[in-house]
Amino acid sequence: MKKIIAMLLVLVMALGLVACGGGSDEKVELKVIAAQYGGKTAEWWVGFEKDFEAANGNIDLVVDVVSWNDIYTVVNTRISNNDAPDILNIDVFADYQADGLLLPAEDYVSDETYAKFYPAFLDQSVVDGTVWAIPDLASARALYYNADILAAAGVEVPTTWAELKDVCEAIKAYDANIYPWGVDMTTDEGQACFAYYAWTNGGGFVDASGNWTLNSAENVEAANYILGLVADGLTNTNPATETRYDLQEMFAAGKLAMMIGPNQISSYVASTENPINFGIASIPANEGKSTSSVGVMDRFMVFDNEHSDAEMEAITKFFDFFYEDKRYSDWVIMEDFLPATSAGGQIMAEADPAAAAWIEIVGSAQFYPAAKAEWADVKQGVINVLQQGLLGQDVQGLLDALQADIAG
Amino acid sequence: MSKKTSAANKSPLLRRAEPYLWIAPSIILMTIFIIIPIFTVFRMAFSEVSKTGRIRGFAGFANFLNVMDNPEFSKVLSNTVVWTILVVVLSTVLGFILALLLNNKFKGRKIARAIVVFPWATTLVIQASAWKFIINKDYGALNALLKTMGLIQTNIDWTPTPEAFFAWEIACGIFVTIPFVCFTVLSGLQSIDDSYYEAATVDGAGYFQKLFNITLPLVKNSLTVATVLNIIYVFNSFPIVWTMTKGDPAYQTDTLVTYLYKLAFYNGKQGEAAAVSVIGFTILLICASVYMVSTLKKGDE
Repeated sequence: MKKIIAMLLVLVMALGLVACGGGSDEKVELKVIAAQYGGKTAEWWVGFEKDFEAANGNIDLVVDVVSWNDIYTVVNTRISNNDAPDILNIDVFADYQADGLLLPAEDYVSDETYAKFYPAFLDQSVVDGTVWAIPDLASARALYYNADILAAAGVEVPTTWAELKDVCEAIKAYDANIYPWGVDMTTDEGQACFAYYAWTNGGGFVDASGNWTLNSAENVEAANYILGLVADGLTNTNPATETRYDLQEMFAAGKLAMMIGPNQISSYVASTENPINFGIASIPANEGKSTSSVGVMDRFMVFDNEHSDAEMEAITKFFDFFYEDKRYSDWVIMEDFLPATSAGGQIMAEADPAAAAWIEIVGSAQFYPAAKAEWADVKQGVINVLQQGLLGQDVQGLLDALQADIAG
Repeated sequence: MSKKTSAANKSPLLRRAEPYLWIAPSIILMTIFIIIPIFTVFRMAFSEVSKTGRIRGFAGFANFLNVMDNPEFSKVLSNTVVWTILVVVLSTVLGFILALLLNNKFKGRKIARAIVVFPWATTLVIQASAWKFIINKDYGALNALLKTMGLIQTNIDWTPTPEAFFAWEIACGIFVTIPFVCFTVLSGLQSIDDSYYEAATVDGAGYFQKLFNITLPLVKNSLTVATVLNIIYVFNSFPIVWTMTKGDPAYQTDTLVTYLYKLAFYNGKQGEAAAVSVIGFTILLICASVYMVSTLKKGDE
């Protein structure tokens, strides 16, 4: 009896293996990997798949929605197994481009759809004069402040670094249990912290011609300024381990007076039980320097899987369908981000006056130099510099070493 | 059908093939999930790997040299050693004591044993998140408890330095490892015949004489297995450090495993990450073999 069961098991296993190999039809299949932005993402894509297939009977669309935690691993595994997706929705593109895996955007985006994007956004995906990816959505950062705490402490919203420090001290004097200023220098997003202060001091990662300028005097001053605020006890206690999500929670709970954060904080605060009374302002800049927002942009890209003409046509149809104004703006609003197309921006601004201000901010935002091959090292490098700074190391020396390491 | 006739009915060929047939599934599984990955990691460690994971060519020891050149590597290595030794030694001692306690007959023993399993039965990420929440300065349970009891007035920062954070991670590691040791030892204790102790008592042996001359030698085998497995688990443990600090600040709380994860998925240096993995594998292989050989040899003498 046991033997029969064992034979059956072996048979079932063997059949299972065979089944994996079979199956094909004359339909054009498009494999898409999409990033999971939120709880409704997967559901939205199911609806999209259904609508798209209904409108294009000859295309079989397969969308895998993957969480941000796994997406890099999933994509890399599929690339190394020669099973790259046709279309990928993710934040980075430079590494894939450097390996020669991508198709230029002009090969698959129709002129009509191409014209919809903000040109500044397309510029962020240019390597060697070619656009390799198209923006799917964006977000930007601004100063969030708890209006009640600022009023109670008798201070105005700060616009300069000096004012910011005064306001922090006033808040600390008013209530020592409230953290005046939120700082996130974690491995998650410490590079944003570096950018907030470097960019509002006229510094940054690269100069106008794209050379690394990590140890510029402006950057050193900026890093020392924010490390000074931490050392003076004007911030949350553990900037190296408290992520912006921890800060966001403390802000919504009224324990943190001010922080720099993305537009999603508004809806997060609104969703809490007793929403605090908050305001949004520009990020404070050093005296005589102009403010700047940090923009974050995600992308669509197409892998070079030696597509047939029919497949290329299907990919073009996919993007025309996705960026159709109403469908696109619905998606961006649902995901609580900012649009990457001007038509999407108009629809969103008309629907929500608060969004209009954000769309203006994102239009003027600066972006990380993510198209440069060294970016991953620079990103981890500046985070390390800030964290070493927290431990009392000399920022100038650290940035000099990083610059030497990156720029050679 | 009786056993005897069933054996007699088999053809010689089938009889010879049968053992292989039965172990075939485990061999296939081991090949797919253990041997092939090990081979792949070694191959990557000695290759130039692009950021998307494509192998570009043979690189010799370049990945290893790059890793050794990183200023943080020695800190990460020493952290890993401290982490493994402290967690394994302390959890073994504490787990052993706990097992001795639980081996006594007392009311509610079954419930007590069940409670000891809980930390082990819970996912490590949940455990580590709970610990992170407990020690948080601003809304942590520990500060709230002490405040309610009137022992402190203002919140205490339990993690003022990276070393303090690492100490809490070690504490969490010990807490989640104790049940494993406790149950392995307990199973060994239960197999000891009471008559040994009775004879020893008759001969006038005290508690510690019995502990060192009867209990320890008889549970040694299960303790050896537990310790070797423990060294491997703890050395390779990822979730606790990752959940609590991600190795921050500045690699001060990283172990080899969290460090190689960052190298691979944050810095896109998969070749170097594979090199770190091979280094860890080698260290573990040496430690485990030395330990096994030395303890088993002693057993034979």
